[in-house]
Amino acid sequence: MTTVAAVGTYLPPWGGARGRVLGPDEDALTLAVAAARAALAGAGPELDVRRVFFVTRELPLLVGGNGAALLAGIGLPDDVSVVEQVGGGPAVFDALAGAEAGTLVVGVDAAETGPVGAAAVLVAVGVGDGVGVELVGRVVRSLPVHSRETGGGVRDYSDARLERERGVGVAIERLDLPDKPVVVAGLPAKQARALCAGVPPTLPTTGASAALFALAALVEVGAGGLVLAVEQGSATALRVDGVPTVHRDEPALLAPEKLTRTPGPDIAISLAAYERAFDAKLRWDAGKCDACGTLALPPRRRCINCGSEDGWSLTPLPRTGEVYTIVTVHVPVPGLPTPYSLAIVQLDDVEVRALVKVTGAPAGTVQIGDRGRLVLRRVAVRSGIPDYGYALYPDTADAAAGVTEGAVR
Amino acid sequence: MRRVAVVGAGMTAFGEHFGLGIKELLPMAVSEMAAHVDKGLDRADIQAAWFGELTTSDGFPTGILADTCGLLDIPVTRVENACATGNDAVRNAFYGVASGAFDVVLVVGADKVRESSARSTFWEWAGLTRDMAWDYPLGLVAPANFALHVARYLHESPATKEHLAMVAVKNHKHGVSNPKAQLRYEITVEQAMNSPVVVAPFNLYDCTPQSDGAAALLLVSEDVVARYTDRPVWVRGVGLGLDRVMHQHKKDMTTFPPTVKASKAAYAMAGIGPEDIDVAEVHDCFTGVELISYEDLGFAEKFGAYKLIENGVTSVGGAKPVNPSGGLKAKGHPPGATGVAQCVELFEQLRGEASNQVDGARTALAHNIGGPTAVSAVTILSSQQG
Repeated sequence: MTTVAAVGTYLPPWGGARGRVLGPDEDALTLAVAAARAALAGAGPELDVRRVFFVTRELPLLVGGNGAALLAGIGLPDDVSVVEQVGGGPAVFDALAGAEAGTLVVGVDAAETGPVGAAAVLVAVGVGDGVGVELVGRVVRSLPVHSRETGGGVRDYSDARLERERGVGVAIERLDLPDKPVVVAGLPAKQARALCAGVPPTLPTTGASAALFALAALVEVGAGGLVLAVEQGSATALRVDGVPTVHRDEPALLAPEKLTRTPGPDIAISLAAYERAFDAKLRWDAGKCDACGTLALPPRRRCINCGSEDGWSLTPLPRTGEVYTIVTVHVPVPGLPTPYSLAIVQLDDVEVRALVKVTGAPAGTVQIGDRGRLVLRRVAVRSGIPDYGYALYPDTADAAAGVTEGAVR
Repeated sequence: MRRVAVVGAGMTAFGEHFGLGIKELLPMAVSEMAAHVDKGLDRADIQAAWFGELTTSDGFPTGILADTCGLLDIPVTRVENACATGNDAVRNAFYGVASGAFDVVLVVGADKVRESSARSTFWEWAGLTRDMAWDYPLGLVAPANFALHVARYLHESPATKEHLAMVAVKNHKHGVSNPKAQLRYEITVEQAMNSPVVVAPFNLYDCTPQSDGAAALLLVSEDVVARYTDRPVWVRGVGLGLDRVMHQHKKDMTTFPPTVKASKAAYAMAGIGPEDIDVAEVHDCFTGVELISYEDLGFAEKFGAYKLIENGVTSVGGAKPVNPSGGLKAKGHPPGATGVAQCVELFEQLRGEASNQVDGARTALAHNIGGPTAVSAVTILSSQQG
């Protein structure tokens, strides 16, 4: 028996009738961080996370590593183990079933074509700390109706009936479930409805994240039950004992911006500078002067206030603030989608300002004096390397986000 | 220190000189300067040179200046101080003469902005001024650096976008009569307001064009000035000011502290104040920067700059004409050349020879700000020895 402390979800604001799509500054990693932070917010600060499963089919880097950026963005120490796993909904349930206390499982869908989203689940220590989850059955089969090669080439066999009857159909038959599921991840709404007891909630995604969106959907079901994740020929079924605590970071839907992409030379990167800045930049930490306590972003050898060069240490920065000044770049910039807004944000309660891009709102809609929170985004791709940093997510675009619900045990 | 005079000035036209490299522009500017020295210049008299160039085209700058201008037997020093490079080259040459080390020196400023493709220019130039890890990837294009200041300035002061447009209209009008100017046509406030947005709050006509060009000055000591002219222009004051390099560390973005520091130093050296300036060349890389600079240079009270542009005070014919050459806005802006070319214009103004002459001008000020917004250089020139 595994105990779920909380589920966190994240959806980008951009999208339409066919689901949400990535913002220009998002990838699987920034989505994973947003969902993981939502799960941690739902669970509260007590739990010690010891390992992270990052399950997606859109890992930003196959060589070069995503683990350190993931830990830094979530705010976990750099001695936590990270498993980067290529997989879909069944793989997420496999990682969750039997996971030890302190495990964070994150499922992310981040394909360019959408629908995209991310969800995370945190495994608690004891039975009393959450909702029990148990493996009911698993079947691993092959029916690659949809496939993607290593280089990214996508193929579609285009036979929906074959997929339904010999894929999901046979998988469910093999599982020999004791009763009907209440939610199914990985199927179109109509097919899911046909398999379920009652009318299951519609999920925003169909891949790795869908399995955990299904757990979150138990809030709408109002009770626990059998939850099924399927992917082409494979399926995993879990029994959930109740309704987990769910923290949603799911802003209201916005039509995607019309962006201009201008080709040009690679944006250069200095990996020496990248490495020096990494911790402060991805953890949103300032350098705090050992002598006078003044904060500096970025950290600097000589204190910006007292001039001491005796040393400094990293300290977390507030993640909310107010726009001091803001401009919007309309002119085409090679390598960056335009238009975009750049703001200097006065952080709350500290004498620190940050120069950041605006995210989650159409360019030009944020004004001086507006408030927002700082979130991890992919600032640029530089010579093939994703360069992560923080962006301002204005409160005006954020009214529906940050809601905690559920927890019926 | 000895007194130092400008006795010769010359420049190429500013523009997109696709057909001319740095190796052509430099000798063109130096030869024009030499041809305009009243009593003639024997190039062998030049004892040292300071060369302001922000970027490097076709190799290392000092060698190219010495090689292309026939100056292989004198020391040449390159000055690079972002967009303040030109007036800082003047400042360094001034000290070379004032100190007694040299009697006759050359100042040259030049840049070839249109030497790389329009697509690669932005990232190349961003690398010159931005922190590689923290700021560079954000896409802080040149106008954005200044727009961050001007957006806050428009928020706090009574000035509006229309006042920005008035600066563009004035400088375009001034540039029409300048044969060296890049954009020699008039525009209206409506045209400026309705032109495409580059970086809000800046539209196209709020921005300087990209330019190539070179400018040259001959500086000499008071001991030898009579050899070259009977109508010298005296370098009365020079100043340089700096600020924090990252925008997020600048406490009040409605002002440029480097300009305040540089002008204060130059005024103090000259023993005058802003009220004594008859004509000025002010760094209007973006229109709003000219407005803020009125205040930083002491021409207007805090947040009072809009009144000067609204009332025509800074037009030729007004009480405090600014940028009679057309400024960076209309004349063009090859960064290394810009400050030197401002002094070329003021040399002509103070001798009564300018194409857009300010009547009775006796004392003048040249001003650069750059780095974006972390360095300023100011030079004060006068027909009066002081």
